[in-house]
Amino acid sequence: MFLCLLLALDGALFLDGLARRKAQDAALAQLEVVTSGLGLTDLAVATEARYTRHPAVSDPVVPFMDHPGAIEHFPTGAFWLPPQR
Amino acid sequence: MARHNLEKQLNILEYALSSLWRHRLKSLSVLLVFGAVIFLLASFQMVTQALSDKAKQVLVHTPEITLQKMSAGRQEAIPLAYGDKLAGIFGIRRVVPRIWGYYFDEVRLANYTVMGLEVAEMPEGARLDTTLAKGTMPRPGDDAQGWAVIGYSITNALDLAGRDTFSLFRPDLSLKPFVVRGEFSRDTDILTNDLIVMNLADARDLFAIPAGLVTDLCVYVANPTEIETIAKKISETLPGVRVLTRPQIQKTYQVVFGWRSGFGSICLLSALAAFVILAWDKASGLSPEERREIAILKILGWETSDILAVRFWESVIVSGLACLVGMTAAYIHVVYYAASLFRPVLMGWSVLRPNLHLLPRLAAGDILLILAFTVLPYLAATVIPAWRSATVPADSALGG
Repeated sequence: MFLCLLLALDGALFLDGLARRKAQDAALAQLEVVTSGLGLTDLAVATEARYTRHPAVSDPVVPFMDHPGAIEHFPTGAFWLPPQR
Repeated sequence: MARHNLEKQLNILEYALSSLWRHRLKSLSVLLVFGAVIFLLASFQMVTQALSDKAKQVLVHTPEITLQKMSAGRQEAIPLAYGDKLAGIFGIRRVVPRIWGYYFDEVRLANYTVMGLEVAEMPEGARLDTTLAKGTMPRPGDDAQGWAVIGYSITNALDLAGRDTFSLFRPDLSLKPFVVRGEFSRDTDILTNDLIVMNLADARDLFAIPAGLVTDLCVYVANPTEIETIAKKISETLPGVRVLTRPQIQKTYQVVFGWRSGFGSICLLSALAAFVILAWDKASGLSPEERREIAILKILGWETSDILAVRFWESVIVSGLACLVGMTAAYIHVVYYAASLFRPVLMGWSVLRPNLHLLPRLAAGDILLILAFTVLPYLAATVIPAWRSATVPADSALGG
């Protein structure tokens, strides 16, 4: 009974996911135009620190340049890995 | 023979189910804890995978080469004249200067991203109107000054619902006024949420950047397969410049959300710790009641392999259900609640928070990864002690 309910829920989520995927595909065209038209390089997910707002074009030293001996202290620094170059 | 085996396995499965039901409280608690661990792992996997996917899709259109001037290990403004030095490199289609940076609003404690460029010079610049929820971008030849096109969160932060003008402070604390000319569609939130787009001259004025200097130069090449070659030539021509290529930027987003990040490691380590505790508990021996049950089954004629099969089916049922529950809960958490449990670390102290519209793509590989991290250790942790116990002579187990 529980398993049937769970599978029914998963089926409903799958169908809803398909509809959402269609809507996202439609929005993707807009995202492509805005990336190209403004030359964007990063996702606007975290706006608190410049190295997590623009990890692709930030210096590796940026998290530590607030003052000499500064350590990285923004919460998002825990989620985002420093880019490797 | 095959039919006999199938019947035997079905009977064993029935026994395993009844055994789980007899210990329903214990089974349910294992299921819940196990489901919670899988929920944590699967949520992290889904969030990072959805974000990486989105980055992969959109960053195909990022500038082919971005040039930044480095001085004493730090980025600083790059002279416009550097663009002229690139004229001799064959294959460069155009060089577009940009002034961009961050504007910290001290009243709202929010960071805005200011982007100043001549949109008419950008590829697809003429189609930017299609990304606006309202208003228009300036047409080519339109020399209007003091306009801005803003992201959704800027409208809210500056409270621009009933008006279309706002002002920002220059470094000398004089005010620079802007007229809102358009607002980006909410569908583009993941890229434009905190953006204030304006023309190059206004951005120069706002940040008080001297004439002849810009933040970076976007280089577009005629043939995308030549990006690396042209980047190398640029590095040779302009030694003090950092050359970022499109593939490098795309690669950044394939590694920036990873299990090696602090938060990813915490998810992984907590799952591992849970399994170590579980395995320790199981491996340190079965309870006297369980030993007794196994001994009685052996006296009744069950073989060691049958007892192992019972334990195997019990583990498969518990771990399979936990996996299903955990992954379903993780999907609901990520898609319908926008990964709200992770937002404190994903967005931190950000004041402007975009609507991410996360939609993970559940590939077989991701499911197998989660299964490998969770179900397989559980199977090993339950079957091995059962095997150790089942090989003990029944009379000693009962007598002990």
